[in-house]
Amino acid sequence: MSQSQPVTIIMIEDDEGHARLIERNIRRSGINNEIVPFTNGTAALSYLFGGDGSGIDHGGRALLILLDLNLPDMTGIDILRRVKENKYLKCAPVVVLTTTDDSQEIKRCYELGCNVYITKPVNYESFANAIRQLGLFFSVIQVPRSAP
Amino acid sequence: MTPEATRRRAIGQILLLAAGLIVLTFISAGSVYLVNQAREDARWVVHTVEVENQISLTQLQMRRAESAQRGYISTLLPDFLTDFDAAASELTADLARLRQLTTDNPLQGRLLDEMIPLCNQRIEEFRKTIALARAEHVDDAARIVREGIGRDAMGHIDDLANQMRVEEDHLFLQRTTSADRSQSLAASMTAAGSGLVVILAGISIFLVRRSASARDAAEAQLRDNNLNLEATVDARTADLREANDEIQRFAYIVSHDLRSPLVNIMGFTSELEELRTDIFKRIAALASASPAPVAAGELEPALEGEDKQLSEGFSEALGFIKSSIAKMDRLITAILNLTREGRREFEPVAIDTRELIENIVATVAHQVSEAKAQIRIEPLPDIVSDRLALEQIFSNLIDNALKYLKPGVPGDISVRGRTKLGFAIFEIADNGRGIDPKDHQRIFDLFRRAGAQDRPGQGIGLAHVRALVRRLGGTMSVSSELHNGSTFTITLPIGWKASNRNRDS
Repeated sequence: MSQSQPVTIIMIEDDEGHARLIERNIRRSGINNEIVPFTNGTAALSYLFGGDGSGIDHGGRALLILLDLNLPDMTGIDILRRVKENKYLKCAPVVVLTTTDDSQEIKRCYELGCNVYITKPVNYESFANAIRQLGLFFSVIQVPRSAP
Repeated sequence: MTPEATRRRAIGQILLLAAGLIVLTFISAGSVYLVNQAREDARWVVHTVEVENQISLTQLQMRRAESAQRGYISTLLPDFLTDFDAAASELTADLARLRQLTTDNPLQGRLLDEMIPLCNQRIEEFRKTIALARAEHVDDAARIVREGIGRDAMGHIDDLANQMRVEEDHLFLQRTTSADRSQSLAASMTAAGSGLVVILAGISIFLVRRSASARDAAEAQLRDNNLNLEATVDARTADLREANDEIQRFAYIVSHDLRSPLVNIMGFTSELEELRTDIFKRIAALASASPAPVAAGELEPALEGEDKQLSEGFSEALGFIKSSIAKMDRLITAILNLTREGRREFEPVAIDTRELIENIVATVAHQVSEAKAQIRIEPLPDIVSDRLALEQIFSNLIDNALKYLKPGVPGDISVRGRTKLGFAIFEIADNGRGIDPKDHQRIFDLFRRAGAQDRPGQGIGLAHVRALVRRLGGTMSVSSELHNGSTFTITLPIGWKASNRNRDS
């Protein structure tokens, strides 16, 4: 993610510890982009879709969404579906980062338009490693601007 | 209806039938008797009429004899003589017949005794007058007739005859009445008996109908009960399935949600570890008089005294935390795998059981030769089931058999099979260390093990195997004694039933 095109990372993760560990390990891989954390689905949706619910607020911005599926107030799949149905947000890459490794769930997420699906390893070494590699991945992928 | 009531009803019907039979017999006997009685009475009535008739005949012959005598005396025509002789002989015959007819009645006998001499006397008198007339003494004869010597006797005879007739009339009346009575008795008896039989038949029909309707009701009830039972079984099965599904979901969610904090604990423990390295590097740097920075790449700076103890305490604590987390992670992973296995849909295929076991044995060949053991595969029935599940079941059991052999004794493991009532029964027997009977239930529980804990393991295998066997519609048991080997018996349906717990999702 080149600095000339500031990409905002939206992190939707209900577990603050996880959020902190993810952020730390992303930073360790040299990513300095703004990370906006949310701990529940409602707050994340109201941020993403704005006051009028259309998502126009983010028109023309480059967003990358890090999404956990197990949220207290809704499932991440609902958020994924709404994001991918919205004309302003649908081209924002969505990285599902969750503990679930159920093949049905994974398939469903990809069907709904998720771009990357990562299962959180319990082993911390693997976890940190996975997040750092994700950070490295972030540093090279191109993120389009939303439709204006 | 209670059995007691049924028995009572049956006895009642038998009694009713018996009563009907008795009444019928009674009526028949009574009818025969009364008909005979009526016939007898009728015969007596006829007899009476006969007697009266005979009396009349006797009187008639007497009058005939008298008129023949008078005719002869008046005319002296021989025709009258012949007539008289005939009448006299007829009279004798009639009197004899009358005597014969009235032998039953002493009164009539007495009257007859009185009448016969009178008649004879009369006839003698007639003969005498006739003889006089023949001997040309017509006047004497006519005189005798005129004088009416015999008129008294004749009156007496008529009197007696009348008495006899009266007696016979009396008897006639009596016997007619008696015959009437017999007949009406027979009729009323037949009528009453028939009525009684009809009533008994009615009661019998009523009872039969009632028991038939009771039987119908019982049948209907039985049908209802059957339906209810089926519905109840279905409902229970559905409940159980639902409960089982719920437990599966519950276990899945719990193990998932338990994982999440575990990631944090693990993560921040690792962070702590890094912090610890940094702290002790700094302490080491401070402790050593020279403030020279520790060379990069040197992980553990040299520490001394209390600092070293602190560092070791820190390491120990972190080590326990990490190993506990690793253990917890393994347990959660195990639960997760079990629940996932419980959610997997089976694919029934025809399985060559022998080939399947041979493949498993091939994968453990190394352990077999290391343990100096042998695995014998006896003839096995083929079944239709889920291949993966069967592989897991048999490889777990064969692994266990190999794992818990008696040290120093060559292992002998056999896999046997037979069929019974649509089920295939497999036995995996070994001559290993055996299992204490008090642990037979425990070994199937999750995370529980038995015996000496000298082999690696988590206590998952048998729990998993039993869950699989149950899901395949089978049962599983163990028979074993400590030090005397174990035999695990698995019973699986030979064919595949739709009721095997395939998830309907």
